[in-house]
Amino acid sequence: MTESQPLLDVSGLSIRVAGANRPLVDDVSFTLNSGETLCIVGESGCGKSLTALALMGLLDGTPLRIEGGTAMFQETDLLSASQSTLRSLRGDRIAMIFQEPMTSLNPALRIGDQIAEAVREHRGVSHEAGRARALEMLERVRIPAAESRLDEYPHQLSGGMRQRVMIAMALANDPALLIADEPTTALDVTIQAQILDLMRNLGRETGAAQIMITHDLGVVAEMADKVAVMYAGRIVEAGSTEQIFDDPQHPYTLGLMSSMPSLSGKSQRLVTIPGTVPSPQDMPIGCRFAARCPFADAACDAPPPLVDLNDGHRVACWHAPIENAGIAPGWKETA
Amino acid sequence: MLAFLARRIIIAIPTVILISIFVFSLQHLLPGDPILVMAGEERDPDVIAALREKYRFNDPIPMQYLAWAGNALQGDLGISLRTQQPVLELIGEKLPVTIQLAVMALIIAILIGIPAGVLSAYKKGTWIDWVANIIALSGLSVPNFWLGIMLILLVSVKLGWLPASGYMPLTEDPLQSIRVMIMPAFVLGTAIAATLMRHTRSAMLSVLKSDYVRTARAKGLKERVVLIKHALRNALVPVVTVITLLFGELLAGAVLTEQIFTIPGFGKLVVDAVFNRDYAVVQGIVLCTGIAFIFMNILADAAYRILNPRMSQ
Repeated sequence: MTESQPLLDVSGLSIRVAGANRPLVDDVSFTLNSGETLCIVGESGCGKSLTALALMGLLDGTPLRIEGGTAMFQETDLLSASQSTLRSLRGDRIAMIFQEPMTSLNPALRIGDQIAEAVREHRGVSHEAGRARALEMLERVRIPAAESRLDEYPHQLSGGMRQRVMIAMALANDPALLIADEPTTALDVTIQAQILDLMRNLGRETGAAQIMITHDLGVVAEMADKVAVMYAGRIVEAGSTEQIFDDPQHPYTLGLMSSMPSLSGKSQRLVTIPGTVPSPQDMPIGCRFAARCPFADAACDAPPPLVDLNDGHRVACWHAPIENAGIAPGWKETA
Repeated sequence: MLAFLARRIIIAIPTVILISIFVFSLQHLLPGDPILVMAGEERDPDVIAALREKYRFNDPIPMQYLAWAGNALQGDLGISLRTQQPVLELIGEKLPVTIQLAVMALIIAILIGIPAGVLSAYKKGTWIDWVANIIALSGLSVPNFWLGIMLILLVSVKLGWLPASGYMPLTEDPLQSIRVMIMPAFVLGTAIAATLMRHTRSAMLSVLKSDYVRTARAKGLKERVVLIKHALRNALVPVVTVITLLFGELLAGAVLTEQIFTIPGFGKLVVDAVFNRDYAVVQGIVLCTGIAFIFMNILADAAYRILNPRMSQ
């Protein structure tokens, strides 16, 4: 693979509910290189998870339709590939971890078998080899007494342990791309740190690229090489982690940053972003954040394009760079 | 699992005792006097008195119960007041016939109902779902006896493929036995297949939405594996409950089906015994049916534990 060809190149992805007038995910584009971690951040309902499910080809059987775009992954367009092509990639080259470890494992099957079946499916190995691989993976995700855990059922494990099992399952076939949809949201804070640590180390060991979906900027700071901020189905700002954290340019990103508590000691007032995300039924044609944005003016009635400010730092705002826009009261003072 | 079964069987004992008390009281609650039936037209008072003595009808009722229960424990359920045959022998003759009919009907119902339910849930909203639902609705609506008569007319009378009636013990000629029984079993099984299909469908619909089915798909498993190994296994838990409950319907349906196809089974024995006030036989039959129900429930509990490992805790 050459420098110019990323592992995953998503371009113009749009997803719509059958019959809706505006897409739920609108013209989402990003690229990801081998070994990189991209965090997609945004509040619930902004289309982060839909984007992930679309890449996995798991929207079949739902009322959601992929309306356009391409997602090139190692010469295959994930958005137009047949289900059988996608099936051979899923769980093998591309794996996914879900938010709810409590319900994402099958309660009726032993965890060893749940890990091994993915290996058997894609590698065609024997029962014993699958089991051996399952054991190896449980040890890699640092589950104590892994051997005896193989024959246990999910209800015998804690939430953190179950998420480790999910990670073991996802990485069992050494995928090139791991998609994690809010992998720590359902866990206790202390367990969250352990799981993130594990994912970062395993990512480094295996060289798998990761897409991590989260609403938690702490997770982003911890994990990301690159960040894409989504709002109401669109990417509003994207760039390297430094660019986003040190020099946020979209008013929504600014709002997110100011609503994050800091541990630096200075007591600061937390800022909340006024208003709520527009519902899919009355999504504005122009900038979707305009109704909540202190900088909004007549220009925002037209949809702002995602423009490259410098060196891959892309922003979709008519007022970017924000330094030129003048500071609105109550915004940057705490940022 | 063995310890579990042993525990369940011990817990079942008080239930069996309760059933036996109920069964015994039955003869005193039912209207009519069997001695009068036995004494015949003349109603000679001496004969009646002798008969009462012979069948212990003069003892206090609790004594009668203890005597009856003591005998029942030793496998002596009394003697048919009508044919003078031991009740156990009568039941032993007829029960296997009905069990064969019921088991075949249940197998047919499961073979039709569960796959149809899985398929219609998987293809929800498509023509396959519609066709399966329409067939299920017809299966529920069409009366057993009508379907039985129509099948006899078509398959036996017109096409001559299968015999219209009769019985062949499974032990004598298994193939012929199944041939004779397949049509009645089908008739008996259809209504149950329809109920099973509806329940399987709704259980599958909720399981197919679950996170672990999505996980199974995310692993790249084949749809067949996702459906059967991951979804159906979890969806079967409520279906097993339904099968247990339907067992009663199955026995009730067997009575009617046996009449249509003139099968010498339990159903005919029950009807004859009730009409002739043959109490000993009625008691024996109700007791056996009650125990069969308890047995079915223990089997269902064992099945739950296999399907749902959380219940083993």
